Amino acid sequence: MKLSLFFRRHRIATAVVIALFLVILPQVLTSAYHLRVATLVGIYVLLVSGLNIIIGFTGMFSLGHAAFYGIGAYTSAMLTTMVGWNFWVALPVAGIVAALFGSLIGLATLRLRRVFLAFTTLGFGEIVRILILNLRSITRGPMGISGIPVPKLFGWSFTGRGYYYLILVLATLTVATIYRMYHSRVGRALIAIREDETAAASMGINVFGHKVLAFTMGCFFAGIAGSYFAHFQRFVSADSFANLESFAIITMLALGGTGSIIGPILGSTILVLIPEIFRFLMRYRGVIYGLTLIVVIVYRPGGLANVKGVFEKPKLPKRPGKGRFGFGRRRPAAVTGESV
Amino acid sequence: MRNVLRTITAVLLVFVVMGPLFASGAAEADDTIHIALSAPITGDWSEFGINFQRSVELAISELNAQGGILGRQVRLSVGDTQGNPQQAATLAQQWTSDPTVVAQIGPFASGPSMAMQPIFDSAGMVQLSPTASHTEYAGGSRWSFGIVGTQAGEGPFNANYAYNEIGIRNIAILHINNDWGIDTANFFTRAFEGLGGRVTRTEFYFEGESDFTAVLSTLRESGADGLFIASFYNDGAAINIQRDRLGWGVPVIGPTSLYSPQLIALGGSSVEGLFTGTGFFTPDPDPAVRQYVQSFQAKYGALPNFHAALAYDAMKLLADAIERAGSTDSEAIRSAMAETRDFPGLAGSITFTPAGDAVKGYRMLQIRNGEFVVYD
Repeated sequence: MKLSLFFRRHRIATAVVIALFLVILPQVLTSAYHLRVATLVGIYVLLVSGLNIIIGFTGMFSLGHAAFYGIGAYTSAMLTTMVGWNFWVALPVAGIVAALFGSLIGLATLRLRRVFLAFTTLGFGEIVRILILNLRSITRGPMGISGIPVPKLFGWSFTGRGYYYLILVLATLTVATIYRMYHSRVGRALIAIREDETAAASMGINVFGHKVLAFTMGCFFAGIAGSYFAHFQRFVSADSFANLESFAIITMLALGGTGSIIGPILGSTILVLIPEIFRFLMRYRGVIYGLTLIVVIVYRPGGLANVKGVFEKPKLPKRPGKGRFGFGRRRPAAVTGESV
Repeated sequence: MRNVLRTITAVLLVFVVMGPLFASGAAEADDTIHIALSAPITGDWSEFGINFQRSVELAISELNAQGGILGRQVRLSVGDTQGNPQQAATLAQQWTSDPTVVAQIGPFASGPSMAMQPIFDSAGMVQLSPTASHTEYAGGSRWSFGIVGTQAGEGPFNANYAYNEIGIRNIAILHINNDWGIDTANFFTRAFEGLGGRVTRTEFYFEGESDFTAVLSTLRESGADGLFIASFYNDGAAINIQRDRLGWGVPVIGPTSLYSPQLIALGGSSVEGLFTGTGFFTPDPDPAVRQYVQSFQAKYGALPNFHAALAYDAMKLLADAIERAGSTDSEAIRSAMAETRDFPGLAGSITFTPAGDAVKGYRMLQIRNGEFVVYD
């Protein structure tokens, strides 16, 4: 009680302390390995926060997020290695291309809901993987793309610390953008759609338009993460963007807590760290990963951040009968006019 | 609101647990030689990863029994890649961040090898993969070496047997659609056509596919009098069972990846008469191979396969290179490794090309009466 009040009263102080911690972190983590793990957390913050717009705010179940991550990675990798573009140009373009694909998929599928949308996005994820493998003349197929250039800034090539600060900037921008969006008209509209589509539509919200917008935004951030990942790992192949990756991203979102700003950050931090911390357990580390998920889902069904008030203003009253992952109540199809 | 407290306590606990574990990775001053092994211990390729671990541990226990390397005992750290490029790259960063690690063996597949490469390259650590065969792998960095032998060497060997020994003139090709499968099919095609043969049709399948009847029927209609399959033994067995069921009786030949006791166990009578090249052969009368097979079987209760033997070779080759280098300096080990000439590996002798690929010798086997025998 007191702690949460403390955080709420001293939001700026808390933010400054966290910011300082994140900026100083590379000076503390002298090992390149620890720095890489911290950087990976950053990549997943981008991915999970993006997916949070789609699942957490708008309540659309997308199972194909890794496909947009892959589209961003391949766009950037191909533009820089085959066309010779600069990373700084390829980065936003990768985001835009992923967003474009996102909006196209959105226009085609967002009239579907729940499990039907999940199926189509799952299928799309598989299509992207197969296309990457089959379009050999464009993507080099299963050979992957190697020799992706290291980003340069004023003639200075990025190293471990440079990469860390770059993802820190990208993740901060992403989270800040999503935070502002969440507290804007658009964010409110998305939440209204998640809670009750019919009611939202009757209040004059363009339900379909907002859904496509949310999907496009989520995919844009995935594309940016993909571009960064391609230049960070400097080798991309289709196996990095398989459906298993989509599930990993969803798992992080569910663990952290959907529909909150801090949730995706918590989820990606914990689930990137756990397999690394328990590396010494070898083949049993998967057990720890699974146990963590079970414990969290049993004791905190809404995810770790199912707390309004630490960083967010608790504006929405608590609703009875809210679903486990914040997907809203089940209603008969006849009431919601859902297309199946 | 107690929930908030609980969450924060949980997060703090994570950090408390994390702290000492992260710190334990710090250098331990001792006089052992620390070797790292990256392998897919869990995930789809775990069978290969566990064989890697077994073979390397076996090689190290033998080395240590003989007094170690440079008079120092050998210590092994094993890391799990899960066959995932991103996990592998993180692991590479872990190895290069540990100042005691002298060199790294692994990983198994080409994708993870390629993802690890930039990290070993910038840190200057020898990356010796027993099995990576991506054409750009060894040439991609002066620190990367591969000992499996490339399809550039294996293709002509298989093509020569298919054309001159078995007498196939029109061959159909079925390959798995990954970097290795494409290379295998391409190099075989080039060599076979160079000899005057004709490839009637080339088809591929995806990893995890299990119904090959459609693609086999297409290949059959192409009028081939022989079939070349570039796949691993598990797919190879499934392909042959379905080919047998279709009643398509032509000689079948495949690369070293088909060689495994499992091929016969899974394929049964359908693989009878199949030809496969190999650099390693379990019933080999060679004393070094006999000894390895016996100790492996005694220790783990299973027969080693080609990939296991390659991992054993990698460890022994690395030990040899460190002995020749006379120190654990990375640059010295790299030079010694590059200068390797005719290293007597269990899976064929090893000499490196300037790029870092091994040139290997192979033998052709045939399955007769449910057993692999040397074809002559």
